[in-house]
Amino acid sequence: MALPKRIIKETERLVAEPVPGIQAIPHDDNLRYFDVSIHGPAQSPYEGGVFKLELFLPEDYPMTPPKIRFLTKIYHPNIDRLGRICLDVLKANWSPALQIRTILLSIQALLGAPNPDDPLANDVAQRWKEDEPGAIATAREWTQTHATP
Amino acid sequence: MEDTNPHPPKRRRFFAASSPSPPPEASDPILPSTPQRELHDYAANDDPNSDTTPFAERDEDITIEEPPEDEIDRDVEAAEIKDLSLRFDATMLESVVGELSSDILKRLDDISGGNIERAINMYLDGSWKDVRPSEPKKSGKQSSFDSMFSQNGKRKSPAGIGQSSIAPTPSDEETAQRLDRMPYERYIGSFGAEGYAVRSGSNLLSHGEEVIIGRQQPQQVQKTVRRGKGRPVTVVSQAASKRKDIVVRFSNSRGEEIGRLPHETAQFVSTLLDQKICSFKAVCVYAPEPLRSNETIFLQLKCYMLRQTFAPRALRLTETNRSTGLFETKETEEEKALRLRQTSLVKLFNEIRLFPTTAGQDSKAKREGLLQVAEMAEEKEKEEAASGNSTPIKDEDEPQEGKELEQDQLDQLYKKAQTFDFNSPEAEPAETFTMNLRRYQKQALHWMLNKERDKKNEGQEESMHPLWEEYTWPVKDENDKELPIVENQEKFYVNPYSGDLSLKFPVQEQNCLGGILADEMGLGKTIEMLSLIHSNRNEPEAVSGTDSKPFNLPRLPKSSDVIEPAPYTTLVVAPMSLLSQWASEAEAASKPGTLKTIIYYGSDKSLDLRAQCSAANAHNAPNVIITSYGVVLSEFTQIANTASGSRANSGGLFSVQFFRVILDEAHNIKNRQSKTAKACYELDALHRWVLTGTPIVNRLEDLFSLIRFLRVEPWSNFAYWRTFITVPFESKDFLRALDVVQTVLEPLVMRRTKDMKQPDGTPLVPLPPKTIVIEEIELSKAERAVYDFVYNFVKRSFAENVEAGSVMKSYTTIFAQILRLRQSCCHPTLVRKKDVVADEVEAEAAEAEARGLTDNMDLQALIDKFTSQENDGGEVNNYGAHVLQQIKEEAENECPICANEPIEEMTVTACYHMACKKCLLSVIEYAKAKGDQPRCFNCREPINEKELYEVVKHDPEEAIGGLSGFRENVPEFSLRRIAANKSSAKIDALITNLKRLRREHPGMKSVVFSQFTSFINLIEPALARERIQFVRFDGAMSQQQRSVVLNKFKAHNGGLVLLISLKAGGVGLNLTEAKRVFMMDPWWSFAVEAQAIDRIHRMGQTDEVIVHRFIVKGSVEERMVHKIQERKKFIASSLGMMSAEEKRAQRIEDIKDLLS
Repeated sequence: MALPKRIIKETERLVAEPVPGIQAIPHDDNLRYFDVSIHGPAQSPYEGGVFKLELFLPEDYPMTPPKIRFLTKIYHPNIDRLGRICLDVLKANWSPALQIRTILLSIQALLGAPNPDDPLANDVAQRWKEDEPGAIATAREWTQTHATP
Repeated sequence: MEDTNPHPPKRRRFFAASSPSPPPEASDPILPSTPQRELHDYAANDDPNSDTTPFAERDEDITIEEPPEDEIDRDVEAAEIKDLSLRFDATMLESVVGELSSDILKRLDDISGGNIERAINMYLDGSWKDVRPSEPKKSGKQSSFDSMFSQNGKRKSPAGIGQSSIAPTPSDEETAQRLDRMPYERYIGSFGAEGYAVRSGSNLLSHGEEVIIGRQQPQQVQKTVRRGKGRPVTVVSQAASKRKDIVVRFSNSRGEEIGRLPHETAQFVSTLLDQKICSFKAVCVYAPEPLRSNETIFLQLKCYMLRQTFAPRALRLTETNRSTGLFETKETEEEKALRLRQTSLVKLFNEIRLFPTTAGQDSKAKREGLLQVAEMAEEKEKEEAASGNSTPIKDEDEPQEGKELEQDQLDQLYKKAQTFDFNSPEAEPAETFTMNLRRYQKQALHWMLNKERDKKNEGQEESMHPLWEEYTWPVKDENDKELPIVENQEKFYVNPYSGDLSLKFPVQEQNCLGGILADEMGLGKTIEMLSLIHSNRNEPEAVSGTDSKPFNLPRLPKSSDVIEPAPYTTLVVAPMSLLSQWASEAEAASKPGTLKTIIYYGSDKSLDLRAQCSAANAHNAPNVIITSYGVVLSEFTQIANTASGSRANSGGLFSVQFFRVILDEAHNIKNRQSKTAKACYELDALHRWVLTGTPIVNRLEDLFSLIRFLRVEPWSNFAYWRTFITVPFESKDFLRALDVVQTVLEPLVMRRTKDMKQPDGTPLVPLPPKTIVIEEIELSKAERAVYDFVYNFVKRSFAENVEAGSVMKSYTTIFAQILRLRQSCCHPTLVRKKDVVADEVEAEAAEAEARGLTDNMDLQALIDKFTSQENDGGEVNNYGAHVLQQIKEEAENECPICANEPIEEMTVTACYHMACKKCLLSVIEYAKAKGDQPRCFNCREPINEKELYEVVKHDPEEAIGGLSGFRENVPEFSLRRIAANKSSAKIDALITNLKRLRREHPGMKSVVFSQFTSFINLIEPALARERIQFVRFDGAMSQQQRSVVLNKFKAHNGGLVLLISLKAGGVGLNLTEAKRVFMMDPWWSFAVEAQAIDRIHRMGQTDEVIVHRFIVKGSVEERMVHKIQERKKFIASSLGMMSAEEKRAQRIEDIKDLLS
């Protein structure tokens, strides 16, 4: 199955005009599979950390959204222990006009603005609501432990 | 007078040995009187003591007679002067043949030796012209002597015994002096035979005694060869030779009949005697004493070839007083005599163990084959006799006999003709020819010029005619004694096929001033032919401009019933669809004014060709007349239906003798029984050519018809052809038959194929590449519903038929259903269309069957659902100008969904967001499939497919062309509701492709093929809607309409689409202007599609050709392409050569595959 023109173009552009703090490199043997790393946004508990993610473009892409997951452990109310992400544009609000680049930017933004009201990791969300400074400290700690190169 | 008459008594004495008068050999051998010299000659032969060296003495005779020779001449001359040279009754002669000038009378008298019967015969068959008795009679006059012999040979003589035939006439006198060249008879061998006695007695025959072999009641065998066919004489002879008498008697030297030869020997000996080929002498080896009736007598027969046998038996019919009847029937007597002669010779050679010194192939096998052929013929004859209707022309009447050729046999056949010498000489075309010829085309021109000029290829040795065999005269007789050697005559030649014998080396002649140009399609046969027309033409005498004859009116031919020569005119006969192509190519290939070309068709036929083309009208005569097979046939029928059958009065094609006639696509006449073929044979021309890519379509007889048209002697005689080719082939002796065909073909055919490589490895014709892309089409839901419905219907119905065992019976119905199924892949509404033109079989049944489907309410509903989408909408231009402006600006953006740049078939949502039409539709489709509300990809507004608007960009070209006045009124962009042009998946795919083509290669022309004209009817409005310009070509159009369309397609500047039906446009046309091909629907065999594609991808194509084949995914079409077409690649025999029954069975198999 030939790679659609759109994927080729997107990949080329990711390489040619990279987004600051975001990197996405396709596997040689599977051009639909990307190794992604996102820098934690400044003024967030994740600052200084580099988070690894995996991204896969399914057959129907761009009719269906890419599948994406954190590989690095992260303490975040919208990301569960398996690294799954709760983000509307990855689900119902996906549009074929969105791209890898825009999705990764959304994830980076999510790190800067956790939303405990729409939780995926319930325990983390609970703590975030009850003891925000404590939760942020844990997140910073986890970043130190797991996401610092 | 007396010495010119035949001498019946003398003959009787000699050969029937019944004359009591003593032989005059006692008279002085050097007596200078003709008959006596002859007699002496014979006497010498008959001398029982001279049996070992029969012509040693004769040689002596000659030397002795040398001096009196002059005397004889003087005597004869004196006699002629004396009685004013007329020794026969001129009045009687003239009463038979009509009035003659005294010159002719004199000549006839000379050569006939005063024999009136002979004179009449010679005059009627025209052979008198060949004979020039008044010329010096010294050496080098062999030919005239030969012809005299042959006249002797066919003269009706009362006694049939071989030796008697040379009558002591003046002409024989002359030959007698030539004895040193070929004796009257020459020993060739001997064999033993066991005769049986018919009388009893003692002292009848003893060992060593001379025995005389003879036929007492010889048949009155007529060699009708040289005579005009259908004359009363022949009829008599036919009747006479019906009596089958092969009894050969022998008698002792006292003339008493002793016995007869056994049947198997008599069989061939009788023929050889009757046809005056050989004479036999026999010696008794053993005879019982006393002899009783029916006892066996052992004989040794010595065989002598008669000199006259070697005279050429020319089949040529000379021109004089022999009108060419258009409708003569075949006579078989001639053929039968030929066959007898041929078999007898072969049998004789077998008996005397004489084998050819050089023969092409295994001569033994050849002989066996010949005998076999003869036997078959005999058996057939017997059968016919038994059944009581031995129609002599039966062979001709059998429709299409002859087995079909297997592919490998065909390949083998062509192999020889195709060994093309790339270094063969080239010829430059005449200056009036404007096109540049490729090298191989120049070589073809050289070859053709040579054929027309009848030059032998330089540097080519004269080769022996392949049908002949070379024999060496025996140098020793049966007793091992030396035989005298005749100077320069160690060999003789026999054609075992025809029974012809010759002393001269039989050269393979090419007497046909034309040939078969069989280059494969696309190599430019037309161009090659046009170069020939230019390069070999008669130039009218230079006329001194305009002044000398201000009114240079064509004179009417003097006599109205003679065929008028048309020395400046070439007639081209081509299929109707190619007429205008010929005309335009002829024009394109010629400098202006150098080639006057007319199309002789329909209403243009009113001209009188006799007046137009006559030599008198040289300066206005058309150089090329192009006509169709249909016209030839209709004129032929017209003439045939008039009482006189006179071709001249018609003023049409048959009233003139063209300089050259060319049959294009000559496989049109492959069936020699067809009226068209017969009509074409009768076209008269100096040079005859046929053009065809397939000289043999599937049987050897196909080739015969071409040969017949070319008038290649002797192959144009069907009996001849049959003997050497058809019969061996049918009796499984393929190699030999094909070998002969090869030899026939070789000098006649020039054939190159497209895949031939030049010595440097480059292809003969470098054609630009061709790419075939299969485009898989996904049916829309509504279409799929219709398709599935029809599919299930057909499948069920087929299964029922299989179960009931009525598949063959309801074949047409099933077939029509399959047709509907295939059509439903193209467009759902086609299922109900009645005006289908696809196949004769299909169309006929389609209507009946359509009822079954149309009455079906479920299907109706499905189709309605589909069509409901079609009707509403139209162009919507209520958008503000700023939106259009924005669209214009964004037009070059890439599609946000597929990233294509620019957006393909740009489509706007109600919320003004743009994407490719295809992408937008699939977004909607995808959401619907998931049960979601489709939303705009950009703003997430709900969208639906009815509110999508396609941006239509108007062709600026179109505005300039048709609507230039309204240019300012035509906006550059407009919007149109997308639902309005939803037609069918296939049409959409076509439109998408055509639009892409228009964008990427503006001005490129393309051709769209479909086998359904009703589908073309639906494509037309779709193209019109998209403002894609098109023209249409289908089978329902008249010749004139067709040529208008083709010319328009060629001449049009800029992009144009040609919609063409596969049937009408699959063959012949030249559409190299187009660079893209769209095949809308697959055919059962890809070869048919490939042929259509070759209309575009052929000689003259300058660019790469891309072919799109639209195949609906998951449908019968897919199976047709992947299963059936694949399979057919390996079956060499296409459907064309199966019987209707086989074809059906094959199709049923196909259908099973389709529905499996």
